[in-house]
Amino acid sequence: MRIILLLTAWLVCVATVTAAEDQVKLPTPSSSAQRLYSLAKGDLLQLRVLLKNGRTQSSVGSGFLIGTGNLVVTNYHVMSQIALEPETYVGEYVDTHGKRGPVELLAVDVLHDLAVVRIDIKGSGFFNVPEQLPALTQGQYLYSLGNPLDLGFAISEGAYNGIVSRSFYDQLMFTGPINAGMSGGPSVTVDGRVAGVNVSKRLDGELVSFLVPVRYVRDLLKRVAEQDHPPKDFKLAVGKQLLEHQAAMMKRLENTPLTFKELGPYRVPVWESDQLRCWGWSNSKQDKPYTAEQVSCAMESAIFVSGQMQTGRVSIRHKILRATELGTLQFSTLASNQFKNQSVGGHKDLRFTPPQCTEQFVSNGKLPMRAVICVSAYRKFPELYDFTLLSASTDESRMSLQSRVDISGVSYENGLRIARIFLEGISRGSQP
Amino acid sequence: MSAPYFVEVLARNGEVKQRQRLDTLPIRIGRGYDNDFILDDRHTSAHDAVIALGADGALEVRDVESRNGIIHKGGRQTQMTLDGNTIFRLGHTNIRVRSADFAVSDAIADTTFHGWEGWPPALTGFVLVVLVTLASVWMTDTEKSEPVHYLTVLAAMLSVMVFWCGGWSLANRLFEGQTRFGRHLFIAACGLIASEAASFLISFTAYAFSLEALTRYDNHVLVAIVAGMVYFHLVTINPGHTRRFALAAILASLLGSGVLLMVSYQTSGRFSSELYMSELLFPSVRLTSDKPVTEFFANAEKLKAKVDAERSKKISNGVEEDNQD
Repeated sequence: MRIILLLTAWLVCVATVTAAEDQVKLPTPSSSAQRLYSLAKGDLLQLRVLLKNGRTQSSVGSGFLIGTGNLVVTNYHVMSQIALEPETYVGEYVDTHGKRGPVELLAVDVLHDLAVVRIDIKGSGFFNVPEQLPALTQGQYLYSLGNPLDLGFAISEGAYNGIVSRSFYDQLMFTGPINAGMSGGPSVTVDGRVAGVNVSKRLDGELVSFLVPVRYVRDLLKRVAEQDHPPKDFKLAVGKQLLEHQAAMMKRLENTPLTFKELGPYRVPVWESDQLRCWGWSNSKQDKPYTAEQVSCAMESAIFVSGQMQTGRVSIRHKILRATELGTLQFSTLASNQFKNQSVGGHKDLRFTPPQCTEQFVSNGKLPMRAVICVSAYRKFPELYDFTLLSASTDESRMSLQSRVDISGVSYENGLRIARIFLEGISRGSQP
Repeated sequence: MSAPYFVEVLARNGEVKQRQRLDTLPIRIGRGYDNDFILDDRHTSAHDAVIALGADGALEVRDVESRNGIIHKGGRQTQMTLDGNTIFRLGHTNIRVRSADFAVSDAIADTTFHGWEGWPPALTGFVLVVLVTLASVWMTDTEKSEPVHYLTVLAAMLSVMVFWCGGWSLANRLFEGQTRFGRHLFIAACGLIASEAASFLISFTAYAFSLEALTRYDNHVLVAIVAGMVYFHLVTINPGHTRRFALAAILASLLGSGVLLMVSYQTSGRFSSELYMSELLFPSVRLTSDKPVTEFFANAEKLKAKVDAERSKKISNGVEEDNQD
């Protein structure tokens, strides 16, 4: 995963600081930044998640008070431990004057990574989320606020660079320095209007950061206004949203036509779109007695559920092995070793049940194959499953097409439906 | 009863440690030097027992003035009749008395191949080990290795064989007085071939007849082969106890399989060694027909009940993957 969520995990904090100082030189804040910070600082908060036992902090993020009320917007991933394990974790806010107080989680939006909490102080009215949202133009300055790396409150300046189509749900690209700990902080225009909420950045790039568009904040705040009381069990709410996500994902996948790639004499199906990107790989230049070529496609984004679980994702890999100098028996060993021990989950995992598999020699009418499908259920979220489909062609003695499709966080029906699309889509062209 | 008489001191396993011919009765037994048969056993008295003819004309043993007495089948006797197979104990010494007219049992058939000793089996074993090792290294050599790789594996395998057979030869020397290294090497080489052949056979059968479950338990067959090897090593050392050794080998094999199952369950939560069959052989091996995709997914549908049942189970010692985002 090349995207890091901007949550400061305490242990990695120091290492990240040094890295950040080495790589990124912060631009000098402009006069607008100074003005914005002085206006916003009363409504800017740091949100901490503490272990109930001992009250030591487990993670920190940022948040901001909306209007003159006591509601605070932040990221879901800042609050995820409180949502999923309220018996172990508790929240606390710290404002720019160092005042602390308790935090009550009111609503979460896992899919867009947002959460609303209630605290015991009121906002000054600086941050507002009106019905009519500001229109942004590419290149426009945005100012991102938060508490980077738990060092103190800060403002950083950058540019808005359009909507990113790589992630499943819209995100804004912000070309500016935002760091771990600023998660959940606001990004505002020069006149103080909220444009988005800081959420993540790319680790493999410079200043490539992402914001959750403010319209999702507006929708979540509306939901909070409509609900009588916060859900008793956020796990149920999260599970329901994940189910909604997988249904939306399925719909979008079904509307994306399958693309067929040629791998040797075989034709293999992939979904290629802005969200599902494909990469190729080959070992042909290496000094090996066989060649291997691979096409792998994966969704670049996944839904963050907890530090240990990202879900709602599909990845596809097709690989062809061809013997150049290996004999039939040697090639069998190679193909078997490549097909062997593919990780499909452990048996003592707190998140998933042990995988259950079924295997068969199958034919889809176009190609004989060995097929294995394994499934694990999510322990905390009913109706959600992870599927792994493995297949290997059995029509040639010195050539093997091996495929793997991983589908995470889907309903049983959708998981099987996607797996079937792939197993039925693999074929051998007329050209040998 | 006819003279002469033979007093035999037996080991616990029944073997004769010492035999003395005595021409007349009575035979006085004890630690003192005025006895006919002297015992070097501190748990016996100077005059411990005497062997004489009883009233019915049969041999009998009588307690003289012993401290620990005559023990037979766990009980102390003052006098008892001896039939040539009776073993009694004086102190720590097991004793049997036979007269010259004792009828011995028939000779057992000689099944040992006396020509198959020494160099011939050793050389054959060595050649077999070299051939099997090279063949198996070649088969798994998918990266075009240098010849030295073959030599390294071969050297390692030969060292293992020398240690294994050396151990058995040592035992052979201890218990039977001869090493028979060649025989043991030949047995080990046959075991190696059997294990390679078995894993081949299992793979081919599973692949040919779609019997995937076979490959999941193939390591138990290997355990059985090792137990079989141990049986032949033991019989080479002592051919007199074939049934006892066979029983021991079967027990060892069962125990080994049990341990394998437990280890597998502990590490992976299932008894089989792998989650699915990974063997991919070549098309000509396949003998059964492929199933339609519909049937495959109908089976996949059935897994739902299993994982749903697992969902409600609590797990102990669970591990969450540790990663920091």
